[in-house]
Amino acid sequence: MVPLEKKNIYSAALIILFAILLTKLFHLQIYEWGKYLQYSEKNRIRQVRLLPTRGLIYDRHGYVLVDNTPSYSVSVFPFEYLKNDSSQEKIADLVGVHKDIIDSKIRQSTSPFLAVRVASNISFDTLVKIQERSLELPWIIINVEPTRMYSGDIFASHLFGYLGEISRAELKSRQEYGLVQGDYVGKKGIEKFYDDELRGKAGHSYVEVDALGREVGTVQVDRETQPEPGADIYLTIDLELQKLAEKLFEKKSGGVVLLDVRTGGVLVLCSKPDYNPEIFTQKISNEIWRSLVNSPQKVLYDRMIQSEYPPGSTFKLVLAAAGLETRQCNISETTDCQGYINLGIHTFHCWNTSGHGQVDFLDAIKRSCNVYFYRMSLKVDVDDWARHSRLFGFGQPTGIDLVGESSGNVPDRAYLNAEHGENGWGKGMLFNLAIGQGELLVTPIQMAQFAMILANKGLYVQPHLLHRFYYMHLKEFRYHQPLRKQIQNISQNTWQVLQKGMIMAVNESGGTGLAASLPYVSIAGKTGTAENPHGEAHAWFIGFGPAQNPQVAICVLVENGGSGGAQAAPIAREIFDKYFEIENRKQSFTIITDDTDAKI
Amino acid sequence: MLIDKRSQPNWTLFVFALLLSGYGLLAIYSATNSSDNPDIRDNLTSQIIWICVGLALGLVISYLSLNIVFSVAYFPYVSLVVLLAILAFVPSSNGVNRWFQVGPFHLQPSELMKPALVLALARFISDRNRSPNKLKTLFFTFLFVLLPFILVLKQPDLGTSLTYLAIVIPMLYWRGLSTFIIFAICTPIITFVASFHFWTFFVIIVLTSLILIWSKRGTLVFWVLFVLNISVGIFAPVFWNSLHEYQKQRILTFLGLISDPQGVGYQIIQSKVAIGSGGIIGKGFLHGTQTQLRFLPAQHTDFIFSVLAEEWGFIGAIVVLLTFFLFLRKAVEIGSSTKNMFAGVLIMGIMTVFAFQLFVNVGMTLGIMPVTGIPLPFISYGGSAMITNMLMVGILANKSVTLST
Repeated sequence: MVPLEKKNIYSAALIILFAILLTKLFHLQIYEWGKYLQYSEKNRIRQVRLLPTRGLIYDRHGYVLVDNTPSYSVSVFPFEYLKNDSSQEKIADLVGVHKDIIDSKIRQSTSPFLAVRVASNISFDTLVKIQERSLELPWIIINVEPTRMYSGDIFASHLFGYLGEISRAELKSRQEYGLVQGDYVGKKGIEKFYDDELRGKAGHSYVEVDALGREVGTVQVDRETQPEPGADIYLTIDLELQKLAEKLFEKKSGGVVLLDVRTGGVLVLCSKPDYNPEIFTQKISNEIWRSLVNSPQKVLYDRMIQSEYPPGSTFKLVLAAAGLETRQCNISETTDCQGYINLGIHTFHCWNTSGHGQVDFLDAIKRSCNVYFYRMSLKVDVDDWARHSRLFGFGQPTGIDLVGESSGNVPDRAYLNAEHGENGWGKGMLFNLAIGQGELLVTPIQMAQFAMILANKGLYVQPHLLHRFYYMHLKEFRYHQPLRKQIQNISQNTWQVLQKGMIMAVNESGGTGLAASLPYVSIAGKTGTAENPHGEAHAWFIGFGPAQNPQVAICVLVENGGSGGAQAAPIAREIFDKYFEIENRKQSFTIITDDTDAKI
Repeated sequence: MLIDKRSQPNWTLFVFALLLSGYGLLAIYSATNSSDNPDIRDNLTSQIIWICVGLALGLVISYLSLNIVFSVAYFPYVSLVVLLAILAFVPSSNGVNRWFQVGPFHLQPSELMKPALVLALARFISDRNRSPNKLKTLFFTFLFVLLPFILVLKQPDLGTSLTYLAIVIPMLYWRGLSTFIIFAICTPIITFVASFHFWTFFVIIVLTSLILIWSKRGTLVFWVLFVLNISVGIFAPVFWNSLHEYQKQRILTFLGLISDPQGVGYQIIQSKVAIGSGGIIGKGFLHGTQTQLRFLPAQHTDFIFSVLAEEWGFIGAIVVLLTFFLFLRKAVEIGSSTKNMFAGVLIMGIMTVFAFQLFVNVGMTLGIMPVTGIPLPFISYGGSAMITNMLMVGILANKSVTLST
C-alpha cells in the first residue's frame, strides 16, 4: 500500500505544477489576450532608461564642490533608424555628427528598441531644430542628462577626476552593476574611486509607441523600476584651505598635502599644474585631449600621489630614527663639520660648504648637516635603515582613496646587490641615501603621512578623502572609518627627540625651516632640497603644528623650486596660518561641525 | 549478459520524446528562418542531427541490462566531475567556461552531469544498508550534489546547478526519507525568507512549532529545530544588512529577483506579449509577429515556448504541456511499478530533472519564474541538452526496468 501512496504524491505534484502553468497561460492568452494583441500588432513597446542623478561632492563643511546641471543629448531608436534609410543623412546633418559615427553606435546597440545616444551636450540651436521636426521624426528623442558643474573656486582637477563614456572593457568587467553602452562613469580621481556609490542605479519604464514611433502611453505591465540616486560624498577637504593652496601654487609646479593628524583626513590635496575640470564636461575634442596628454608639464599627472621624487634632507629623520632605535648613535654624540668629508678619493660636501663646526644630534636635524648624517650612515646598516623607512610607510602606497597611486622605492641590500652587483656599490651610495638622494624615491602623500606619524608619535591613521556618504533614498549618513594603528618598536624617546629636532629647525635661529614659523603657535618641521639631474633642486617641507598638541601635518613640494627652506617653508607657513585662522574663527563662533570622525 | 533479450523497451516514452522534439523543430524553424545570419538558419539542420544521434544513443541505453547500468553507475559522475573541474580551473577568454570543443561540437559537461548525478545518487542511496533517514547518508548525498553544484555555479550557470539540487528530495523520498526530515530541511529555508517580515516570521515560527509538537519527536528534536529556526530568523536580516549595497544588488540580480542590466524585464515583457497575443488559436505557423520581428531574446533556445505559444495559441501550448504531462506520468508509472529500489530511485530522479526544467523554463516565459537560463527539454535548440535528454529517455524506457516489475 505504501508505494501506491507515494506514487500518488508524485502525480499530485505534477498536477499542481501543470495547473499553475495552465492558469497563467489562460490568464495571458485568453483573459488578457486583447491587450497583448494590441501591443504586438498596432503598437510596440519601448524601453526607456530612467537615469539616476549622480551624487554631489561636498567639502567637509558642506560647501558644494561638484554639482549637476542639465544638458541635452540626442538618442535614436535603432529599429526605426535602420528602417528609414532615406532620413539617415538628414539626421546626421541635424545633429551635426557624421553618419558613420551614428551607424557604428547603432550597430553596437544591444536591442533595437533601446535608444542609443548619438550626441551629447548639444547646443540650444540643435535642440530647437530637432524639436521642430519631432512630428516627422518621432523616433529621435531628446534626453535631459545631468553633467558635472564645478564650484569654480578651486580646480582640484586631480582630486575630482572626471567622467567619460564607459569603454568596452569597463562594460565587460562591470556588467553586474547595471551599466550599458553610452553610460558615463568616473575615469579618474574621486569620480572613479567612488563611482559605484556616486552613480546610483538606473530605472526602466516601458512606453507604448505606434507604428510611426510616436509615444501612445505607458505600458500597463509590471516590472517598472524607479532610478535610485547616487550617494552624495562629503570630502575631508577644506574648500578655503584648498583654494589658498591652489593660489599659492598658481605659477609653480608641485603641490601641498595637508592632513588632519587626528583623523587621517586630507584637508588639502593640491597638485599643480592642473586644468579646469570643466573641460571634461563638454565633448572633448581630440586636439584638447592630445594637448593634455602630451603637455610637457604633464598636467594630467597627480603629482601628490603619482609622481616619485627623491625626498632630500627630510629623509634624514628616518636615518636619525634608525640610528637611535638600533642604538648605533646617541643623542650627545658630536661631529665637527668642516663642510665636507673625504671617502677614499671622493669628497662629499655638506650643503653648507663653509661647515657647521661642532654639531650634536639635535643640531644636525635643526641645521640639516649632511656631514653628521654621512657619518651616521656608516654606522647604521642599510637594511635597518630600509626597515625603518618601510615602518614609516615608504615603499608602499598609502592606500588613499584615489586611483593610480605610486609606491616609491626604498632600496635595501638585496635591491642594491641586484641593481649594481654585490661589489658594485659602496659607502658613497649609502651617503646619498642618508641625505635622501640616489635611488630612494617617495611620493608627497607618503611624506605627508610620515609627518603625521611623527606628529602622532607613531599613531598612524590612513590618509583618506572620504568623510561620509549621504544616501538620499535612505536619508542616512555613512561615515568612513579609517584604518588606525600604532607603529610598534619605536621608543617614546625616539619620537620625542625627532620632534624636538623639528621644533628647533623651525623656531631657533640657524634652523633651516625658520621661514615656516608663526608668532602665535609653535610649528615643527624639516626642510629638504632634493638635487635632481633635470634642473633646479626640488624644494621640500614637511611638518606639523601646533608642535605640542598637533592637529595638522603638511607636505609641501615645489618642483625645481630650489632650496626647501626658502621656497617650500614659506608656503607651509601660509597654509598653517590660514588653518589656525579658520580654527579660531570656528571656536569664536562655536560652530558645530560634523567632525564626527575626530571623535572616533 | 550485456543485452537482455526478454522484453522490449518502453516505446511510448520514445514516441512522446520524438513528438516533443518535433514541436521543437517547428518552433526552431519559425524562430530562425528569417534570420540574416546563415549560422542561425543552419540550427534546424543541426538540431535534426542531434535528435538522431541522441535517439541512437538512447536506444542503446534502453537495451542495456540493469545490472550493467548499476555496475557503472559511478563512472560517468566521476569523469564529469573531473571535466567540470578542468573547466573551472582553466582560464577562459570571455570569463564563461561551459564547454569543451570536440570537433565541431561544443560538449557541455554540465548537461551530461544531470543524468550522471542521478545515476550515482541512485546507486548510493538505494543501497540496502543505508537508511535515508540517517544523518550520515544525508551528509554524503549532500556532498555528492555539492561538488558539481559548486563547479557549475562557478561557470556561472545558476539554472543548471539548481537542477542538481532539485533532484535530491524526490529521490530520497522514494527511497523512504521521512516527511519529518523533509520538513526539517525545508523550514530553515522558509524561515530565512520569512524573516524579512516580522509577522510572516512570527506565523511561520508558530506553525513550525505546532507541527513539531504534533509530530511528537521528543523534546531534544523540538528544541534543536526551534532554536535553529529562531536563530536563522534573527541572523538572516542581520547578515543581509551587513552586506554592501552592491553585494545585495548582485545577489538579487543573480537570483533574478530584480531586473538585471541586460534588460531581463524587457525580455519578460516581450515574452508575455508574444504568448498573450497568441490567443486561443495562435497567429499561425511563421506568422508570429513577435517571433518574426525577433523581438524575443534567445527565441530558439530559452524562450522557445513563447514562439510556440504565439504561433499555435492556447491550444498549441496545451498540446505541448499535455504531451509533457503524459510523458512524465508514464515515467512515474514505470518508476513506481518496479520492485528494484535502484531503478525506482533512478527513474524518479530522471523524471524530476525533466519536470523541474519544464516548470522553470515555461514559468520564466510566462513571467512567474526568474530568468535562470534553463532550456525547455526536447524543444529548445541545443546539442548537449538534446543528447542528454535522449539518454535520459533511454534510461526511463530501459527494458530491464520494465521487466523488473
